[in-house]
Amino acid sequence: METILFFLFSLLVYVAAVADPSAEDGKKEKKEVDPFVYDYHSLRICGLVFGVVLFALGILLILSKSSYFSRKCRCCSNQEKKTKAPGDEEATAETLIVSKAKEPEPEPEAKAEN
Amino acid sequence: MGDKDGKSSPSKKSKKGKDMDELKKEVPITEHKMSIEECCRKFNTDIVQGLTNAKAAEFLIRDGPNCLTPPPTTPEWIKFCRQLFGGFSILLWTGAILCFLAYAIQAATEDEPAGDNLYLGIVLSVVVVVTGCFSYFQEAKSSKIMESFKNMVPQQALVIREGEKMTINAEEVVAGDLVEVKGGDRIPADLRVVSAHGCKVDNSSLTGESEPQSRSPDCTHDNPLETRNVAFFSTNCVEGTARGIVVCTGDRTVMGRIATLTSGLESGKTPIAKEIEHFIHLITGVAVFLGITFFILAVCLGYTWLEAVIFLIGIIVANVPEGLLATVTVCLTLTAKRMAKKNCLVKNLEAVETLGSTSTICSDKTGTLTQNRMTVAHMWFDNQIHEADTTEDQSGASFDKTSASWAALARVAALCNRAVFKAGQDQLPILKRDTAGDASESALLKCIELSCGSVKQIREKNKKVAEIPFNSTNKYQLSVHETEDPNDNRYLLVMKGAPERILDRCTTIIIQGKEQPMDEEMKESFQNAYMELGGLGERVLGFCHLLMPEDQYPKGFAFDCDDVNFTTEGLCFVGLMSMIDPPRAAVPDAVGKCRSAGIKVIMVTGDHPITAKAIAKGVGIISEGNETVEDIASRLNIPVSQVNPRDAKACVIHGTDLKELSQDQMDDILRNHTEIVFARTSPQQKLIIVEGCQRLGAIVAVTGDGVNDSPALKKADIGVAMGISGSDVSKQAADMILLDDNFASIVTGVEEGRLIFDNLKKSIAYTLTSNIPEITPFLLFIIVNIPLPLGTITILCIDLGTDMVPAISLAYEAAESDIMKRQPRNPTRDKLVNERLISIAYGQIGMIQALGGFFSYFVILAENGFLPSILVGIRLNWDDRACNDLEDSYGQQWTYEQRKIVEFTCHTAFFVSIVVVQWADVIVCKTRRNSVFQQGMKNKILIFGLFEETALAAFLSYTPGMDVALRMFPLKPSWWFCAVPYSVLIFVYDEIRKLLIRRNPGGWVERETYY
Repeated sequence: METILFFLFSLLVYVAAVADPSAEDGKKEKKEVDPFVYDYHSLRICGLVFGVVLFALGILLILSKSSYFSRKCRCCSNQEKKTKAPGDEEATAETLIVSKAKEPEPEPEAKAEN
Repeated sequence: MGDKDGKSSPSKKSKKGKDMDELKKEVPITEHKMSIEECCRKFNTDIVQGLTNAKAAEFLIRDGPNCLTPPPTTPEWIKFCRQLFGGFSILLWTGAILCFLAYAIQAATEDEPAGDNLYLGIVLSVVVVVTGCFSYFQEAKSSKIMESFKNMVPQQALVIREGEKMTINAEEVVAGDLVEVKGGDRIPADLRVVSAHGCKVDNSSLTGESEPQSRSPDCTHDNPLETRNVAFFSTNCVEGTARGIVVCTGDRTVMGRIATLTSGLESGKTPIAKEIEHFIHLITGVAVFLGITFFILAVCLGYTWLEAVIFLIGIIVANVPEGLLATVTVCLTLTAKRMAKKNCLVKNLEAVETLGSTSTICSDKTGTLTQNRMTVAHMWFDNQIHEADTTEDQSGASFDKTSASWAALARVAALCNRAVFKAGQDQLPILKRDTAGDASESALLKCIELSCGSVKQIREKNKKVAEIPFNSTNKYQLSVHETEDPNDNRYLLVMKGAPERILDRCTTIIIQGKEQPMDEEMKESFQNAYMELGGLGERVLGFCHLLMPEDQYPKGFAFDCDDVNFTTEGLCFVGLMSMIDPPRAAVPDAVGKCRSAGIKVIMVTGDHPITAKAIAKGVGIISEGNETVEDIASRLNIPVSQVNPRDAKACVIHGTDLKELSQDQMDDILRNHTEIVFARTSPQQKLIIVEGCQRLGAIVAVTGDGVNDSPALKKADIGVAMGISGSDVSKQAADMILLDDNFASIVTGVEEGRLIFDNLKKSIAYTLTSNIPEITPFLLFIIVNIPLPLGTITILCIDLGTDMVPAISLAYEAAESDIMKRQPRNPTRDKLVNERLISIAYGQIGMIQALGGFFSYFVILAENGFLPSILVGIRLNWDDRACNDLEDSYGQQWTYEQRKIVEFTCHTAFFVSIVVVQWADVIVCKTRRNSVFQQGMKNKILIFGLFEETALAAFLSYTPGMDVALRMFPLKPSWWFCAVPYSVLIFVYDEIRKLLIRRNPGGWVERETYY
């Protein structure tokens, strides 16, 4: 999950790096010609790429949720309360690990419920 | 209730109220006191021949069919309309109508009216209709599950008419019919029993008694519910046969009256509906106040009346949070789904929250707190009480089974027992198997099967020679068997029955497998054990046996059971076994959790006080160490009247006493005792108890499974029925159904209810905040005449677009503190939306957001040449189509089209700024007291929401064609960052506020800003 996120972020950075200079270049070139005209075309493309990446990230987050977050919701809500104390990021990591370790457990439960 | 109705609308309602009062009174059956002949005369029937067919037909026409009138079902379209026009929707409809009104005014006065108001009106209507459909289908889904519960098998009844037995549909049974019932039948109507053979009926759905009650022709009690000679409609005959005269049919039966009473009750508004109403009042107040103020201002500033009216409407409509209805509905639906997963089916969306506000739970005993099956709980042998395992899964402790006395007791219990397992259940665990026979015999059967192995084999080894079944005059049951040893020609006589009767027949007692003479000391210890077990509310049976001497009863002796030609005296006492309907395993824990959550748990049962008290103690409804008035009296050895009732925290109240209590006395009891058990209560009394609690301001949840609970279920703020064991009537009356019959699920319900209440507060705070940056542009547009900074379309994009997912995601937020450790909310004080929430959302965070929006607005205009100073008062020229040479601060000339592009770019930037400041807002709204750093960012839906709202903003701004469709233009990257400092400011501001709240509990900051 984290690796995918990392990959996507680097993709974002890459796209931005690729797109930006062109925008900048275009801007500069145009600026020389006419400072009052802005290169809206590349701006649009950059903006859309930005939007698409964010959207994909969000969807990924939700989809990855169904694999382990929902379980975390159901069975670790008690745990969250216990470990919640002042621990912040670390506690999160801990609960994630715990929830992963406990993964096989809730499954038969879920089946039994159904 | 009747009184209130009477006052509000006189004639018609008061009659209805009177009917309801009538129904609330006790059952008017008197036939049980009449002799059989009188009864026959009353109904023109004959005790042998029954009714004539002609008479029956006549009565059928007179009384109508013998079935319950189904409760008036609301037509689907009314249900739909209720969704469309109920509660929150009204606010949006008002907004929509105002919009159309404004558009009409504009259309009438202007040549080219702006379409904004028209669009807004249409969008508002669409939002309401779509949300209405959504919640309609949600509720339709759960009502479909309800339908599947309905049991549609037509009932048959065996009647005697003109001397002939005939089977007819139960619906055609009329008063006066002579009806025969046998074990396994459902009783077709209220019957006055005229003859019975070992007949037992299961009244648990009517009175809450777990044990089957025997029926006989004699009147044993003045109260028709207690007397032996009446059998009730829709209860079950467990065994034996009986013949009776039908005295009531259909809605006039005891069951029918309860059902009518139930469907006649009107349940009040749910707490959340009241809260939403309060919220609407607040919002309307703010909207009207703003509208009127700016109306006056506009008039003063020299606008025409019509323009001022349009502003007024515009401001009022702008205050309507368009997205909130959908947000609230989705949040409630999500919680309902989550609860359904945990086996709580909610029939009405609004009931989701009710359990969270509940301050009193009135629980039925049988089937809710207990397993509704008799189980052997204790045994007394070897002069010692042994405890049997009563848990549902046999996980409890066992007792010493090595004693020879136990072997003897087990043999007697197995042999002197007519219950058998039904065939074909060998794979099932013993406790799950169905049995044929009496409940207490089945309990013995299961107990012996569990501890000694196959009862069938024991019985095969000891062939039964003779038997006298139990009857109420003997109070014992007896059978004679061959012994296991084929060489032993003696017969074994085994007997069980009421312990005192058994003891009278015994001269010896078995101790450690050896027979000893019964002395006074032994008799006393027997009495002590009997009293102790009886005091636990258990049903005690005594057992004895005798090996019959061979010389008197040789092999092949003809035992005559009718005139008992053998001895039944001088037996050997073996032991006692006592049975109870044990509490469910999860109940004590659940009751404890409810206690710590500040919820008062009251037991209301139809069962006897001793049993009720024993179970109450067992599950912790009367906690350890708490005494009733009677306990204190017996401990101090003083009369009950001398005990100060205030000293006793617990109390057990008998239904007959309840009848004589005045309303004040009732209030007094409910207020001053924390642990209350109501025993022997009728359905009507259950209703009175619920009303009493509600009168004291409590929000009452009622749990129950029987028909007798249904009026109380309906009257309660939330009725919780049992999904497996519950009767149809109770399920219909309830708002929530526990699919697994597990009382512990109620705790889940309370937890989820409280969580969603807190989270709805957060969602509403979040959604309302963006109202300010949406209204202020319009206000400044009116007051200082600047070009409009934010248009209607962009406002809708925020309310119905970007704000939706984050607002809904707050429903997934985890609790800030242990919500099960705090008191239930006080419905008069703790509101869903209060002034403090409005002040935070509108007055503080909202204002910062507006500043952020205006900052980017001015930045863009300034970058284009319009410095802020020139903007004030520019509006008339700016919006003038004819003016195509408007000069900016640098002297550049702008055509109308160019100006509009800049204006719409400003709208877009303002919109994006709101998205940016709403990032901070949603993070800030995650918590009300804790810091975000304490709460963490575990809510993935919220992060998803942040991504999606930003992506949506980017799409709206950059997608080609948006300039035509929604008049939104692409923004330069730098313009995205204008509002970021304000976003940071909001975050820091609110973190400091929350820090102050945590540092100074009860201080000024908390009092003024904690919502």
